[in-house]
Amino acid sequence: MNGPRALALAALAALAALPWVLARHQLSILTDLLIFGLFALSLDLIMGYTGMVSFGHAAYFGLGAYGSALVLVHSGQPVPVALLAGALLAGVVALPVGWFSTRATGIYFAMLTLAFAQLLYTVAYKWRDLTGGSDGLAGVPKTTLFWGGPSLATPHAYYFLVTACVVLALLLCRALVRSPFGRALQAIRENERRFVALGRAARPFKLVVFVIAAALAGLAGALFAPFRGFASPEVMFWVLSGQGLMMVLTGGIGTLIGPILGAMVFILIQEVLSSYTEHWMIFSGAVFVLMVIFLPGGLVGTARRLVTRA
Amino acid sequence: MTILETRGLGRTFGALRAVADVSLRVETGELRALIGPNGAGKTTLFHLISGLLAPTSGQVAFRGDDVTALAAPARCRRGISRTFQITSIFPELSVLENVRIAVQLKAGGNFRLLGGRALLEASERRARDSLGALGLLDRAREPAAMLPHGDQRLLEIAMALAQQPELLLLDEPTQGLSPEDTAATVAVIRRIARERRVTILLVEHDMDVVFDLADRVSVLHFGQLIAEGTPDAIRGNLDVQTAYLGGPE
Amino acid sequence: MAIFVEQLLNALALAGLLFLVSAGLSLVFGILRVVNFAHGVFYMLGAYLGFTTVAVSGWFWPALLVVPPVVGVVGALLEASTLRFIYRRPPIYQLLLTFGLALILEESVRVLYGPTAKGIDPPPLLEGAIGIAGTLYPRYRLFLIVLSLAVGAAVWLFLQKTRSGLVIRAVAQNSEMADCLGADIARVRTWVFGAACALAGLGGVAAAPMTTAYLGMGIGVIVDAFVVVVIGGLGSIPGSMAGSLIVGAAQTWGAYYLPETAMVIMYAVMGAILIFRPWGLFGEEE
Repeated sequence: MNGPRALALAALAALAALPWVLARHQLSILTDLLIFGLFALSLDLIMGYTGMVSFGHAAYFGLGAYGSALVLVHSGQPVPVALLAGALLAGVVALPVGWFSTRATGIYFAMLTLAFAQLLYTVAYKWRDLTGGSDGLAGVPKTTLFWGGPSLATPHAYYFLVTACVVLALLLCRALVRSPFGRALQAIRENERRFVALGRAARPFKLVVFVIAAALAGLAGALFAPFRGFASPEVMFWVLSGQGLMMVLTGGIGTLIGPILGAMVFILIQEVLSSYTEHWMIFSGAVFVLMVIFLPGGLVGTARRLVTRA
Repeated sequence: MTILETRGLGRTFGALRAVADVSLRVETGELRALIGPNGAGKTTLFHLISGLLAPTSGQVAFRGDDVTALAAPARCRRGISRTFQITSIFPELSVLENVRIAVQLKAGGNFRLLGGRALLEASERRARDSLGALGLLDRAREPAAMLPHGDQRLLEIAMALAQQPELLLLDEPTQGLSPEDTAATVAVIRRIARERRVTILLVEHDMDVVFDLADRVSVLHFGQLIAEGTPDAIRGNLDVQTAYLGGPE
Repeated sequence: MAIFVEQLLNALALAGLLFLVSAGLSLVFGILRVVNFAHGVFYMLGAYLGFTTVAVSGWFWPALLVVPPVVGVVGALLEASTLRFIYRRPPIYQLLLTFGLALILEESVRVLYGPTAKGIDPPPLLEGAIGIAGTLYPRYRLFLIVLSLAVGAAVWLFLQKTRSGLVIRAVAQNSEMADCLGADIARVRTWVFGAACALAGLGGVAAAPMTTAYLGMGIGVIVDAFVVVVIGGLGSIPGSMAGSLIVGAAQTWGAYYLPETAMVIMYAVMGAILIFRPWGLFGEEE
């Protein structure tokens, strides 16, 4: 068995065993880590593999959260229905936003995604009847796995649901970046002008991957709402978009597993710092600035370089 | 048979007329060189033919069809492949993947989101074939950015060639090459033209290369075609000497 | 008629503030090829430092003079200590770095000033309203219009008529010029970055009597400024002037006719312009 595969199996075994080792609140933190890992993973698809830096990715996380919260609060359907609704809502909204934003590239694209995200944030804030305004939607229940099925209300059950979603999403993304489509994305990232001269317009590819990434971010948000029990405008705020970028960069851009690890490290740093000071954002901002300057490959990129050098 | 024809093709940038009223005919199977002093509009003309720039006047016809309204990707799919004056590759991708993606983009199946292994393997075979023809096969696994400059120029030709084009546009393939690399590149181009039976339109500064390779030569000056003929005829043409040297010798 | 004039003046005052911020954003992009995400935070910093200066001195005018240079120095120091080292990287890293700076600055302001908004009184001279075309209009907003026009003219004169301005325009137009300047380019970058931050700081001080100084005003203004430069074209000062006027008008009349969806109007305008000019009105395709 080769190294990466052995590591992957070990990680899976650890994920399966951890609920019996960890205390209740630790398991809750781990669930949180995984949800944001999924969010960062989805961002890596567009940022790391296609070279499209979105400054508004939190919008789709938020849309997913609202979509799933609305389904659960109003209809009490099983959680997977809510997950589907959240991912779908994010994907559908991403379609027109992506259509506009992919008209531009590079920095213009980043600014457009931010502008649209702030617009969606404002809508979530103002559409009081539907979203509850600044209070958000509270009391989002963890219902069941399927109609008449087992309840997901225990920490263990919900943890396993999240783990399953994250592992499946990771496998999906891995297959995606290795497919003909995924290879084309990487060529666009490397040199869009050359890509076009080789016979395909780049925009359809970018739009499709933008929608896929949004739907996956929506899935993360849809898992988040019942886990925390609420959806509020906070989860669509630009700060979360920026934190997503940090997670991706911390872990290693364009590595899929890196952003998940990056999200874990990022949130753990945050947990540790916030137990010492309420102004942890200053320090995590500083750590991030230092990482950008000194470790542009992130954890996974740097580790790989060390391994190949050894 | 005429494979490429431009009729009164022109392109202005503000007040600058980069290409003006160019009517050019290239016959199937020929190796045509396009020469002219710096700033004569050669690269602009290439952009107009490959569709990267839209003309401000005139038409481009490929195999008898008017393709003026088609964008670059569509023209490429019809059979016009090109290289760039400034090396344009996918730097972080492997040499093999650079060529393979060129095959895939033309062959189709680009929206296979999952799987597609057979497709990948088929395109890889063709890519290897093209790399072999240019002698780059032993470096297939390296990132393209690691290749020396001369090999990167060849890689660009390999990418274009792997698309099995009917018309190949080469924009200064020997730019910045050492004399040895230039000689090797000339040999490669001659072999391609013979073995693959592809029509080649070549922009070149090195007159030795031009007179060595070309069947016919077209001369561009201040955006206009001022002469066309066999290499020997062009060598003796007074207008051409004026364009290059500022006056008859 | 009276309402129209009032709305027109409101639009101009808003456009003036947007111009002070977006001009610097555009200038920095033109010279450094960096979109400074932290630019809005310098605007906020200006507003808070303005509050402090007014609180200490009891006067408004000193704030207008003292705060912009201070904000400019903070900006220049940050550029020289962080951004300077990564210009050779792909643009995304510079964007991310300024994002990190934005987080640090935003949180530092929260630590220093606390979460509540800080109000500044306009100077006595500019308090109250005067009658224009049958309507009473706040003097302070008229002052904002005059101030931003004056700054706009000063920036334009500086760029057109001075040697330094010439160098800056040359670098902005042709980034290869940067290499010809050799060692000087580092200094040009730092100065331009600092000057742009000073402009944002000036905008912040000037805005504070109208909007108060509050957390989140930075992100609010940077999003608007992004829309401005997307409409006008990055790197173009006339573009950011035109963009500011369009956004100012869209927001003002949007808020008047459709108070709940004013933001939507702004984006609709931006979308419409982008369909025809993806690089903005005065921008050039990359």
